[in-house]
Amino acid sequence: MSERLVVSFTPTEGAVIRVLGLVERRGYSLRGLAMEERADCASMTIDLEARDASRRVEVVARQLDRLVDVNSVSIVTARQGSPA
Amino acid sequence: MSSAAQRVPALETEAVSGARLVVQALEREGVTHVFGYPGGAIMPVYDALTGSSLQHILVRHEQAAALAADAYGRVTGRPGVCIATSGPGATNLVTGIANAFLDSVPMVAITGQVASPLMGTDAFQEVDIFGITLPIVKHSFLIRRTADIPRVFAEAFRIASSGRPGPVLIDLPKDVGVMAAVPEPFELPEEPQQELDEAATTAANALIADANSPVLYFGGGVAIARAERALREFAERSGIPAVGTLKGLGAIPTDHPGFLGMLGMHGSRAANIAIDNCDLLICVGARFDDRATGKLDSFAPNARVIHIDRDPAEIGKLRAADVALTGDLSAILDQLTARPKADGWVSQCQAQKKLWAARYDAPGAGIYAPALLKELSEAAGDKAIFTCDVGQHQMWVAQHCRFSRPQAHLTSGGLGTMGYGVPAGVGAVLAEPDATVITVSGDGSFMMNVQELATIRRYRLPLKIVLIDNSQLGMVRQWQELFFEENFSEIDLSDNPDFAEVTHAFGIEAFTIDHRSQVSGAIERLLNTDGPILCHVRIDPRENVWPLVPPNSSNVQMMEKGW
Repeated sequence: MSERLVVSFTPTEGAVIRVLGLVERRGYSLRGLAMEERADCASMTIDLEARDASRRVEVVARQLDRLVDVNSVSIVTARQGSPA
Repeated sequence: MSSAAQRVPALETEAVSGARLVVQALEREGVTHVFGYPGGAIMPVYDALTGSSLQHILVRHEQAAALAADAYGRVTGRPGVCIATSGPGATNLVTGIANAFLDSVPMVAITGQVASPLMGTDAFQEVDIFGITLPIVKHSFLIRRTADIPRVFAEAFRIASSGRPGPVLIDLPKDVGVMAAVPEPFELPEEPQQELDEAATTAANALIADANSPVLYFGGGVAIARAERALREFAERSGIPAVGTLKGLGAIPTDHPGFLGMLGMHGSRAANIAIDNCDLLICVGARFDDRATGKLDSFAPNARVIHIDRDPAEIGKLRAADVALTGDLSAILDQLTARPKADGWVSQCQAQKKLWAARYDAPGAGIYAPALLKELSEAAGDKAIFTCDVGQHQMWVAQHCRFSRPQAHLTSGGLGTMGYGVPAGVGAVLAEPDATVITVSGDGSFMMNVQELATIRRYRLPLKIVLIDNSQLGMVRQWQELFFEENFSEIDLSDNPDFAEVTHAFGIEAFTIDHRSQVSGAIERLLNTDGPILCHVRIDPRENVWPLVPPNSSNVQMMEKGW
């Protein structure tokens, strides 16, 4: 099942790769991506799908949230979210 | 992070070279030792090091710089610092950085980089170390402007040691280190304070009060948070039997009556039985690692779980928690005041501990490594720090040595880095000069960083090395014997060099023993020698580590030795 995360972050060098790399390493496939940047703040909407059923999106959201560049992470269900 | 900010001390008002700013930043952070190896791109920093207050420890391989810095960080609680040049110097740090990441050790790794105009051109000794290390750092910086150096270093040290610690990489292009600039003033944000969750605390106390067979399961997070006092007081007032992970050992003294031993694959039977039968598992600073849990769905199968951790991302990662408490471990533990009604359970656990206590009456006249390590540990006492390599000897140290503090047991828990022991010994001696630092190594691991004998000799570090030699890659051999139908593949090390002679060649005292009657004398000689010394211990290659939980099994399905 596809999930959607909205990640607000400071767009420092490497921040985008850091976020996307973590998502993939923690057992998810990237299914969609949109990004916008305003001044010193950026936002990424990520559609992701777990590679196995044991993965919980809340866990990867918390793992993203502890990245230094990440300001906040919210989980948006597919029905609630706008298209990426 | 909070918007409230902390102002840093006054900086230079005149233009200063980037390399000089690096050294000043390290001095400002209170750094006294740095471990490193010079090379082309980092030469400006090495130029600035002369005349500074920093003591640079010149290792003989960059991996050892990172591993020594790791041990230094574990003992002091402050970031260990390692330095290397670009390209191979930087990639040689990678194992040590990963080691620190997996075990949440504060570290700042500084790498030289080719000059900015050459980056991205496949220049000599250019490698994207920033990109290579992204998965194994807590954070990283590539400094583009000389004026940013003081801010970046201040942030790096803050990040490395705050919250759940970890390694931070700073990549410094050569031109940024050469150019002079007036540093820009900056402010560091205040660290956010995490409020105690009163509702969760109440719920946790209720679970404890209701429990009939609770177990306290603690890990390396206790040492990282320096929460030993709070953990011990909680264990005392609750009376709950305790088990520790490999990295947790020493947080509750190993000879404490309520401590049942290490849990997991090579844990004590009493610890694993207690976990299997408990109705409440209180996990403090541990992460349900597979070596600790065995088959996860059979781990504490009937228990409710209270999970206490500094890092919210650990909650529910592998095992759902009935109550989660995140934040400062000491503050949380101090609020857990309930007592279970579990007198019968405590007696039962004590009986199991007595029943399954380790035996040291191995047959034969050869040296039984567990007995040697037990005797060594008792003789060395509370001032000892043990550093380990990885393999059978590592598990024997965990099983048979006594630890009264977690900083006394430096082991590569998460990454399992063969070659950790000797560089970690170097770091530990410098971090705590009054300690008796003992490295226990194996013949496989020792050869992975044998060159660091030169570092020990150069700085005359009084490291005691016990090299347990079974002429095999013992742990691999054990698994091939038990789980691969004795198809022994590439584990023979019978052509090892004469380790005592090798050590002599580095100018270090060394001797070999191979008979049980020599053990006491050898320990006395080790501990009474002022300088560095190596004791080469030949053991039976067929010796295995017991007990053992087979892969993908429940922790109570333990295999035992045959005598």
